[in-house]
Amino acid sequence: MIYLNNAASSWPKPEIVRKTAAQALEALPVGQYRSSVSSDAEDILHDTRTRLGILLGVREPDRIFFSSGATESLNLILQGLQIPAAQIITTVTEHNSVLRPLYNLTGDAGQPVLLPCDRDGYVPPEALEKEAAGGKARVFVMNHCSNVTGSLQDAAAFGEIAHRYGLLFVLDCAQSAGCLPIEGDDWGVDALAFTGHKSLLGVQGTGGFWLRRGLRLRPLLYGGTGRDSVRLRYEDTMPPDYEAGTRNAPGIAALGAAASFLISRGLPHIAAAERTLRAYATEILSGLPRLRLLSVDGRPHGPVLSMVSDLLSPADLAYILQNSYGIVTRAGLQCAPLVHGAIGSGAAGTLRISFSPFTQESEIDALADALREILS
Amino acid sequence: MRIIEQRASIEVCTEAGWEAYDLLTEQPLSDEDIEALRHLGGSFLYLRQLRKPFFKLEAHNFILKGVRGDCFFRMAVHREHLAELDRVRNTFM
Repeated sequence: MIYLNNAASSWPKPEIVRKTAAQALEALPVGQYRSSVSSDAEDILHDTRTRLGILLGVREPDRIFFSSGATESLNLILQGLQIPAAQIITTVTEHNSVLRPLYNLTGDAGQPVLLPCDRDGYVPPEALEKEAAGGKARVFVMNHCSNVTGSLQDAAAFGEIAHRYGLLFVLDCAQSAGCLPIEGDDWGVDALAFTGHKSLLGVQGTGGFWLRRGLRLRPLLYGGTGRDSVRLRYEDTMPPDYEAGTRNAPGIAALGAAASFLISRGLPHIAAAERTLRAYATEILSGLPRLRLLSVDGRPHGPVLSMVSDLLSPADLAYILQNSYGIVTRAGLQCAPLVHGAIGSGAAGTLRISFSPFTQESEIDALADALREILS
Repeated sequence: MRIIEQRASIEVCTEAGWEAYDLLTEQPLSDEDIEALRHLGGSFLYLRQLRKPFFKLEAHNFILKGVRGDCFFRMAVHREHLAELDRVRNTFM
């Protein structure tokens, strides 16, 4: 089996991640503030936050909160801000983990302002400047790296514009965390969402968000936290808890191990290797008949490459690749419905391949051979 | 060809209101089995030149696709037309 669907969930996981998850299940349970059985509990959570802080470029890792992934994090951020959708600017490149919360804010029939992207999936910073100058918006939410095209937005430029106009800057790093350098502090990010199971190489059901100190959200969940249990109502003057309920401690331990793995390899090195792999795939696939690659114009990309064919739909290509050649890809809208109109892929979406630090050139060669046979 | 079981497909991302099912067959799909599906109507594509030949039948409210030699084929059907699923399954029961 050749696995080229790492933008959905990475596979395989590093050995240290697999071992750490297994060891966490063997060990006594971690009980955050609830038990003294495991003295390692706080260390696991603290160490994982610290390592993630390095990968996300934030100097206050204690402001990282764990969740089940980017979707829960973005829901918490976008609903928790309690700002009407009409005062929020976002982009057509977004995943439904941003779009659906914005279009379904409780008691709000408004819609967010959508910035366009070009045919390669890039949002021009001037578009934000133009909308922000109108003065109505209070928040800007942006996908750092598209899960459809791999297009990497200039987060620093957008952060500068957002703050010049007094907008909160929310950055969705679901697709970039773990495979691309991120500088949350330096880019002026106010809230940053990430997931553990993609390029961070952790397990599904892990992730979280970082929140700038002083920024306050209304929690989605209230419940046991293991501390201040007599407090029932959270008044506005009290710090809210964003981690109610029991955390996924084995998953967080595995995420911490994954973060160590990535730090030791070096994000710039990983990013360079995956850039080389994408360039290699672009080179050998661009010569195939009846196949059109999307977003291959030389600007910065994450480890994602989409394509369409005029012979077979993306769904058919993915089916044949998986069932006849043992190659796992992803087809369709990739849960980002609005970007396809801009990049010319239409209602059927794209066939997407995506890489990890474990992807080999020989696997790209096998994909190219299969596509050549199918499309010739 | 005889269909012996119907399973909801593991590919559950039904983005356009369609649902997918895998229809399991008693024997591996042969050329004759695949050709028999043509009688259900719709456009038919059969890529015989592939290492494992692929077919697709596309009707108004459902799509069938599969690979020769597999013991299943997939049926995608719009959730408002699930009766088509029964029609296909009953044709080959």
